[in-house]
Amino acid sequence: MSHKEQMFRDIGIVDFVLVDLILYLDTHPFDVDAMEYFNHYSKIKNQMMAEFAQKYFPLTGDLAESSKEWSWGMAPLPWEGVC
Amino acid sequence: MQDYRFDEHFDNYPIAMAYIPWQHFEQIFDNLEEAYEIGTIFPELNKPFTGRRCVE
Repeated sequence: MSHKEQMFRDIGIVDFVLVDLILYLDTHPFDVDAMEYFNHYSKIKNQMMAEFAQKYFPLTGDLAESSKEWSWGMAPLPWEGVC
Repeated sequence: MQDYRFDEHFDNYPIAMAYIPWQHFEQIFDNLEEAYEIGTIFPELNKPFTGRRCVE
């Protein structure tokens, strides 16, 4: 697995952790322990997304920090099988 | 929004109704890759379907 693929997979894993924490917090909105976990992994995911955008391409449009070329438009499309 | 009561006294509950016990946040899997493959970050919710019966 290339570094890019590994990073992409890790982002998917952290995103999954956030989804599961969101489901829990939806029914336990005052659970501060769970919120701490959520804040922790949310920060990590943002860092990973920013790093991936800087090294490879932005995974969401808002991460397209472009000056010379429009990186969001140059990114591979989902059906192109890159990631 | 109402706060939730976690102290459940099932003796006081009307019969013939279905109840779901509250989940309590205790821990998540140390190995998140394993959690990803299992489909939950909560060890207590890891209930693989065996095709016969639920796993305790």
